[in-house]
Amino acid sequence: MSTEQVTYGTWKRPLKKTGLVGFLTTVDHKKIGIAYAIGALFFLLVGGVEALIIRLQLMAPENDLISAQTYNQMFTMHGTTMVFLAVMPLSAAFFNFIMPLQVGARDVAFPRLNALGLWCFLAGGIIVNLSWFFQAAPAIGWFGYAPLTARQFDPDIGTDFWIIGLQILGIASLAGSFNFITTILNMRAPGLSMMRLPVFTWMTLVTSFLIILAFPPITIALAELMFDRHFGTHFFDVPGGGKPILWQHLFWIFGHPEVYILILPAMGIISEVLPVFSRKPLFGYPLVVFSGAVIGFLGFAVWSHHMFTTGLGIVATSAFAFLTMLISIPTGVKIFNWIGTLWGGQIRFTTPMLFALGFIWMFMLGGFTGIMHSSPPVDAQQQDSYFVIAHFHYVLIGGSIFALLCGIYYWFPKVTGKLMNDNLGKVFFYTIFIGFNLAFFPMHILGMSGMPRRTHTYKAEMGWNDANFWSTIGALILGLGIAAVVLQVIYSCFKGKPSGENPWDARTLEWETSSPPKEYNFGFTPVINARDQVWENKYGHAEKKMGKIAPGSHGIHMPDQSWWPLVVSIGLFIAGMGVIFHGQPMERLLPFLGESDISLFHMLVPGLFVTLFGIYMWALEGPGGYHLYPDPEELVGAVEPEEGSHGGH
Amino acid sequence: MKWIAYIWIGILLALTAISVPQCLNSGGETALFNATGQQSTLDPQGPLALNQAKIFYVTLWVTLFLFVTVGGALAFAIWKFRMRKGDDPNFVPPQSHGHPLVEMGLVVGSAALLVVIAIPTFGGILLKERPPVMEGEEVLEVNVTGYQWWWGFEYPEYGFHTANELVFPAGKVVKLNLKANDVIHSFWLPKLAGKTDLMPGQENKMWIQADEPGYFWGQCAEYCGDSHAYMLFRAKALSEDEFAAWLEDQQTATVVDASIGDYTPVSTEGMDEALALTGAELFIENCARCHSVDSRVQTMGPNLAHFGSRTSIAAGWLENESENLVHWILHPDKVKPGNFMWEGFPDPNNPLGPPQMEGLMDANLTEAQAEAIAAYLYTLK
Repeated sequence: MSTEQVTYGTWKRPLKKTGLVGFLTTVDHKKIGIAYAIGALFFLLVGGVEALIIRLQLMAPENDLISAQTYNQMFTMHGTTMVFLAVMPLSAAFFNFIMPLQVGARDVAFPRLNALGLWCFLAGGIIVNLSWFFQAAPAIGWFGYAPLTARQFDPDIGTDFWIIGLQILGIASLAGSFNFITTILNMRAPGLSMMRLPVFTWMTLVTSFLIILAFPPITIALAELMFDRHFGTHFFDVPGGGKPILWQHLFWIFGHPEVYILILPAMGIISEVLPVFSRKPLFGYPLVVFSGAVIGFLGFAVWSHHMFTTGLGIVATSAFAFLTMLISIPTGVKIFNWIGTLWGGQIRFTTPMLFALGFIWMFMLGGFTGIMHSSPPVDAQQQDSYFVIAHFHYVLIGGSIFALLCGIYYWFPKVTGKLMNDNLGKVFFYTIFIGFNLAFFPMHILGMSGMPRRTHTYKAEMGWNDANFWSTIGALILGLGIAAVVLQVIYSCFKGKPSGENPWDARTLEWETSSPPKEYNFGFTPVINARDQVWENKYGHAEKKMGKIAPGSHGIHMPDQSWWPLVVSIGLFIAGMGVIFHGQPMERLLPFLGESDISLFHMLVPGLFVTLFGIYMWALEGPGGYHLYPDPEELVGAVEPEEGSHGGH
Repeated sequence: MKWIAYIWIGILLALTAISVPQCLNSGGETALFNATGQQSTLDPQGPLALNQAKIFYVTLWVTLFLFVTVGGALAFAIWKFRMRKGDDPNFVPPQSHGHPLVEMGLVVGSAALLVVIAIPTFGGILLKERPPVMEGEEVLEVNVTGYQWWWGFEYPEYGFHTANELVFPAGKVVKLNLKANDVIHSFWLPKLAGKTDLMPGQENKMWIQADEPGYFWGQCAEYCGDSHAYMLFRAKALSEDEFAAWLEDQQTATVVDASIGDYTPVSTEGMDEALALTGAELFIENCARCHSVDSRVQTMGPNLAHFGSRTSIAAGWLENESENLVHWILHPDKVKPGNFMWEGFPDPNNPLGPPQMEGLMDANLTEAQAEAIAAYLYTLK
């Protein structure tokens, strides 16, 4: 492999690939994916510790391990962290790393925008969690219902950390989604039609559309709340003519699609893993893809089922109830097809397969309880009780987290070129599976016997003691299992045995390249002739085998690195801190700064200036890029590109 | 090394096995699933809760059916098609891609099952919105107001207020008009009805009915700030005669004439009169600006006109016993963190500034004073 440097842009761009500069300026989708994963796993542990503190407080009735206020901060931060900082970015890590490989692309469509997504994720995550260090973690719930978030009821700055953190995280999600949609629609390898796309890539596409349609409402809601708190507007302020119900509608028209944003990538991963370890194609591929898209559509039409108790009236309540029931059909279709995939196969119980099978069981149970509270009369009793907590942890841990752990075990060899110990993985799976069920199954009983959620304590005579005690024991086992998986990931990064290109005898395109993939992913341009291309390459007919096009004399055109995504997000970070501390004494920020109030000109305006400057320089630095030439042995069997065509992109 | 893993998994399974009977019998020595606990939704005592429990059972049976069939198929597939010892690792099973008839059949089948749930669901939605009342029948209405962190109950036809204890006649529909004073709360009386939210700036309606006279526990079900977990209430369904007597009681004054500031109790029968009178003075000094002892007047705090006849204090968290009451008066912050009774009412326009009305934090009550106030409160029956 040889490198030839060509600079197209106005400014000299950073060239160093390694070290701190290489990391801070990277635009490589694989490095960005790994960075997302590291961040997400870190926040998963943070959110997990918060969960364990919650469970320890509830272990016994009238416990005083933590105060009511601290407890309220814990569940707020636990929910916010797990949804926005653990599950979403872990999905994004897979989108980033795997999806371009699955479509045979060199990188995503907008590599610098991808870097911006990463830095905004980190900036948002840091801002949300900084609140702990100012003794001001938000205590409003992850849903932040107005008017509890108004200055009058919540005078401190915790809610501001939450608003600004989520706002910046929204930028990260949107930047990523536009990128993924463009990549999937425009950068597929020749012959890779939409109905040949791996299901994980399909779900990446659907999820990305959900994100770009669902985030605008929450962005508006957060902006309105920020104006209510800082600049005297009355969007949600009742005496001023505002309506608290407006917040609920805006929040849930984001919040319900968000639920599918969390689960669709998981379904995509499962739909990849089950065929591999059954050694059969996915049963009913078109229906699985179609039902994923239907779930995405219907996901926007059911938000008010979170609001059945707010007095919607007969018509709206019935409409949202029946639409919610409908959504169980495409979800059921997926489960049927997964069973169909297993049927007639030869099932291998590797660690990823165990997580995938565990996913089907747990997600099915979570789906059943979901059907229960799609019925408003049933929901009237279950809403805001522990039954609901049981339900959504079955779909979010038993669903999303199981699938993401499955994805980690499945794609770890591809990402690092190393194997994780399968026997150890199985022990951790059973630990997690048993701990999870012990923690969350008793919550069904708690909910039906009337224990409301978001309560930091309960009376001993309510009859909730034993179930809460065992739930805490289960949570500790679950926490142990998750921590063990994270440790195993770290250990295997350094000590894992080499895996080779395709250790699972897997089916999709990412397994065609080396492990870990080279900077340019594929030395050749793959020409796709079948859905499960890598499987067909090995077992299929000659006409279904993959073609290869060499990059030609031109070489492979790679994107240049850049500082500006980082600069833009640092500007947003400063500006965000400026809004959070707006009107606070300076010494709140740093003890030696004195008592005068922080105005918008101290941090918000300079921060926005840095952001705008970064965007300006970003635009001016030009497209850049350089060419790489793969080793000849990578190109064995590849044909030269046709005269005049511009190969290698 | 393998045996360590087997022992570990064995321990986990044993723990699970121990937990199952304990969780199922949680609380009640006799009842499975804690089904008769104070807030059990599976022990309905009125028509609305009964309807909701019945629909729950419909959903439970439908999903159990699905669990047995779909789960059974899944379990069978995993068992039947597992890779056995000695199987050829390079074996390639038939690469089938799906079967449209099977798939469409399953879609239609699951839609049919949903109809089984949807029909009673629609009935339940209608029942909740339309109480079974004959035309012209007189129905008791109660205005429920949610405050951080207590409940105000107003009986508009009779013109009096009470707090944290809802009293109503058994066997009859009672209509509740729900409002919130500050943030969102949710009215949940599990044995009688599912919850309905109390929204600021909006009036919601619900109804309850108890089949028999009884005593019920309820709780706020929407997160409403620091002491959300302490926002409970009790409800009493009385027989017709008892309820008529209670109504009359509530409309009788318990102090000489609150409207001109004479808070002397009407009767101190069976109580230490001197102590109660001291208590009355302390009450005027420390409590009367927020707490009314005139059931016709509602001020910022819970109405205390008939405090002595209530069964619980501090919004259902503590039983109404003298010892608890003294503790509550001395340390409201310890019983309910963030409580206005301790810190005073904040100024809504400047919530971090000095309180609009001072709380007991600045009153420095002694234990003897608290006992006097308690003695006074117990004269208000």
